[in-house]
Amino acid sequence: MIKVSQLLKTVPTADGDLTILHGVDLEIVAGTSAAIVGASGSGKSTLLGLLAGMDVASAGEVWLDGVNLSALDEDARARLRAEKVGFVFQNFQLLPALTAKENVMLPLELAGIDEAGSIAERFLGEVGLQDRLGHYPTTLSGGEQQRVAIARAFAREPAVLFADEPTGNLDTRTGERIIDLLFELNARASTTLVLVTHDERLAERCDKRFSMSAGELSGP
Amino acid sequence: MKQALTWRLLAREWRSGELGILLMALVLAVSVVVGVSSFVTRLQSALLSESARFLAADMVVVSRSPVPEAWISAAHEQQLQPTEVVGFPSMAVADIDHMALSSIKAVSLGYPLRGELLWSSEPYGEVLATGAIPGAGEVWLAPRLFSLLDVELGESIFVGEQPLRVSGAVRGEPDATTAVFGFGPRLLMNTADIPATGVIQPGSRVEYRLLLSGAPEAIASFTEWVKPQLGQGQRLDSVEGAQPSIGETLDRAQGFLLLAGSLAVVLAAAAITLASRRFGERHTQYVAILKSLGAQSPEIAGLYGRSLFWIGLFGTLIGCLLGWVLQEAFIRVLGSLLPVEPGSAGLKPVLIGGVTAAVCLMFFAWPPLRRLGQASPLRVLRADMGIAEAQRSSDFLMGSVAIVALMWWYSGSALVTGAVIAGLSVVMGLGYMAASVLLSGSRSVGGFAGSLWRVALAGLQRRGRANALQMVIFAMAIMLMLLLSVVRTSLIGQWQAQLPPDAPNHFLMNLAPEERPELQTFFADNEILSETLYPMTRGRVISVNDAALPRWEELEEDGAPRQREANFTWSDEIPSGNELLDGEWWTADTDQPWVSLEEEFASDIGATVGDRLSLLIGADALEVTVLNIRAVDWQSMRPNFFMVFPRKVLEAFPGMYMTSFRLLPEQKSLLNQLVGVLPTVTVIELDIVIREMRVVVDQVARALELVLGVILLAGGLVLISGVRSSLDGRLRESALLRAVGARKGVVLGALWIEFLVLGGLAGALASVGAEVAAWGLQTQVFEMSWTPTPVMWALGPTLGAVIVGALGVWSCRRVVNVPPVVILREV
Repeated sequence: MIKVSQLLKTVPTADGDLTILHGVDLEIVAGTSAAIVGASGSGKSTLLGLLAGMDVASAGEVWLDGVNLSALDEDARARLRAEKVGFVFQNFQLLPALTAKENVMLPLELAGIDEAGSIAERFLGEVGLQDRLGHYPTTLSGGEQQRVAIARAFAREPAVLFADEPTGNLDTRTGERIIDLLFELNARASTTLVLVTHDERLAERCDKRFSMSAGELSGP
Repeated sequence: MKQALTWRLLAREWRSGELGILLMALVLAVSVVVGVSSFVTRLQSALLSESARFLAADMVVVSRSPVPEAWISAAHEQQLQPTEVVGFPSMAVADIDHMALSSIKAVSLGYPLRGELLWSSEPYGEVLATGAIPGAGEVWLAPRLFSLLDVELGESIFVGEQPLRVSGAVRGEPDATTAVFGFGPRLLMNTADIPATGVIQPGSRVEYRLLLSGAPEAIASFTEWVKPQLGQGQRLDSVEGAQPSIGETLDRAQGFLLLAGSLAVVLAAAAITLASRRFGERHTQYVAILKSLGAQSPEIAGLYGRSLFWIGLFGTLIGCLLGWVLQEAFIRVLGSLLPVEPGSAGLKPVLIGGVTAAVCLMFFAWPPLRRLGQASPLRVLRADMGIAEAQRSSDFLMGSVAIVALMWWYSGSALVTGAVIAGLSVVMGLGYMAASVLLSGSRSVGGFAGSLWRVALAGLQRRGRANALQMVIFAMAIMLMLLLSVVRTSLIGQWQAQLPPDAPNHFLMNLAPEERPELQTFFADNEILSETLYPMTRGRVISVNDAALPRWEELEEDGAPRQREANFTWSDEIPSGNELLDGEWWTADTDQPWVSLEEEFASDIGATVGDRLSLLIGADALEVTVLNIRAVDWQSMRPNFFMVFPRKVLEAFPGMYMTSFRLLPEQKSLLNQLVGVLPTVTVIELDIVIREMRVVVDQVARALELVLGVILLAGGLVLISGVRSSLDGRLRESALLRAVGARKGVVLGALWIEFLVLGGLAGALASVGAEVAAWGLQTQVFEMSWTPTPVMWALGPTLGAVIVGALGVWSCRRVVNVPPVVILREV
């Protein structure tokens, strides 16, 4: 379960503090999916960063799977991410130094799991890349790279999966296939899915839909 | 994080090239430092041996009375090899008409302990080095004694009451310059014959020398034992005090090598900083991804720390290995110069290399990597987030302190370090000022220029800070390369000037005034080049300001002012090659009783400008006042004098003449004819010494060039690192330009302009810095005169522009050869 109360985020600028999030409240039940939609610059990526513990709020609290992120330091939040969080990004964010299989192995290795290699192969098989294990990201298409990223995200069997514009860099047909894959794996693993997008059709497939505008959230 | 992951990342990074530059920079730093310091250590040991050669021993006990037997036994007990030498001036007599005051040297078995005694069976015959000495009952004579005494090989002469058979000619003694026993040609005999001669009586002026050789520890322990027992008129001569005339050349070469090594450290540190900085910048995104996947700061720090550790380990090992190869190359090049096999360099160079690697890694490579651990994971969501400053001023300060300490430790000279730091500080200070003015002003200039210039100048300004840093680094590298080239050129130039190909290689003394025409005819007939004839009168300084000076044998303390005998000459002008240190020179026609003193001579007799000296010339007394003090270049191979007088003051005294002249090897036999024509003249042969010196200079110059080559390589590496450090930004922008339709020519042209401007500015700054450092080094360290190097002012900016321009455009060439989309995707 994710719970957010009175979340405020301001950043210093040359003209004084700029408020990006204005006291956001949010609740997402475990095992469900939620979409946060909004135009560019509305603050949805900032909210995602805070939900995943990658940034620190100026005020307010974020609870992730029963843990108050505001009380944790950066390394404790990283530990929590390693245990409970998976990510899928718009730019895929694969390490170019590693092959597809090594990229999927990475979070498993970080968690000290011994069978990282076989687990990675299984998940790459599930996303249909069993014959691309040794390929480097630059030799894969955008769709294939995003599938590697999805395999990487699910390989750790996270409690929560955050997806930031997962189809933003893909054409419509590839994007649809990626979304199908994402929802299919999500359903199978009963993961809590938080999806940031400006694609209304994608948002409609989620259990809940929140709207972000000028740093304020309105929801169901 | 698993070790396997570290290895995988390391392996992949190696292929990407960034680690390669980091590793290469480190290998270069370590190998140059290890190579040069091993070489210098070995050179030092060879130098000591060379010095020992000029002492004919590792250490000498000098005494005015026979050396106590107990000391000789103690030397034996310490495993030292001793041999005795006794020297004194005495008359050698062939018959009633033929006698000559000689400098007699009696040697015993084992002489010389270091170096070689050269002799020949004919007066000017083939020189031999067989390890022999004159046997009991035999003498070897200096070649000109044969004609002075009118004797031939096999005939006998008398020293005191003892007849001795002439069995050879003495042609060269290793300790000829340190063991001088009066003025006169050498007569070498065996110590066994001394009692029978009866010439040594109480009060005789005799010097006893106990020569010792052995392991350095044994020498040190004997020194410690014997020192407290030294009485009046006894002293120890060690190798440090017996530097040969080439010592200065080798000293300067050594200074140059240490300077070069220090510069290599600075250059390598710069290359490492740049490589590591770029590595850090490129890895910020990696770290953000790793953190988003749950990696914690200590794990990230561990990952990069381990990577750096392995790079450090490999770099140091490879560097030590290459350093060893480098010093072997130096030794090979200089093989024929070194008189004995140079000793082992020991482990100190490896230690220096290891410390250099550790300092470079800790202060220059690690800070950007350490800060990677603090990179925000938020970058995975916000790619436009800035990169944290890779190098902070505190890092820079600590690194600078470390480098200064390293340079100091390494060169062993605060002056060398200071001069280089002064030059570097000028470059950095001016660099940042120039960068901020020129780069910020470039856009307004660009506004009026064509599109090509506008693009280039906008690029320069946009990366203002990075460009300023890059320019300073370029300038540093170019400065150090220019500096070393300038110092090398002036060092070699000075050595060659000191030993011009037509330098005189023989001195001729004791020429009577009436013999001058005969000598000039002889020189003219045989086409021998000679210097002018200098008048020469021998005299003695007996008191300064009416305070009598003690005689040498009355001296209670070595080094105290004492009576000195010297050759006097007169001159209207200050002798060429001399420098006036204090006082003024006289007008040509003066008859004032003035004198000009050589600086060390003045200090020996304890006199300064304005002091009155009482002199004895033969039986005549002369009172003079010191008008000035001169510095004399003793390596000039010209006649030089301790005391110079106005013509009218000295002309009245009877005197002889001297000159120096040049004999080609094939003219050598003319010497016999010369002493036949002018039997009373003294000829000092320096041709062998000069030939040796020239070989040394040539070899040392070659070693210097080798080192210069290595430093240029290091400088080149820094330039490559510098260009690469801004490659991503430039590639991205150039690819964007091409994507929006810019022709290849525009993109390449803009890159050329950008790099040419950067390189040209850097080169100009480098010229200023190099001039400052060269001034400091030449005047303070190498004790040479400094003149500006105008060619450098043209060369610096030109070379900077051409090299940086070419390297920069070459590094970015992909942008016009590869479709822009590929580059945009990669960077």
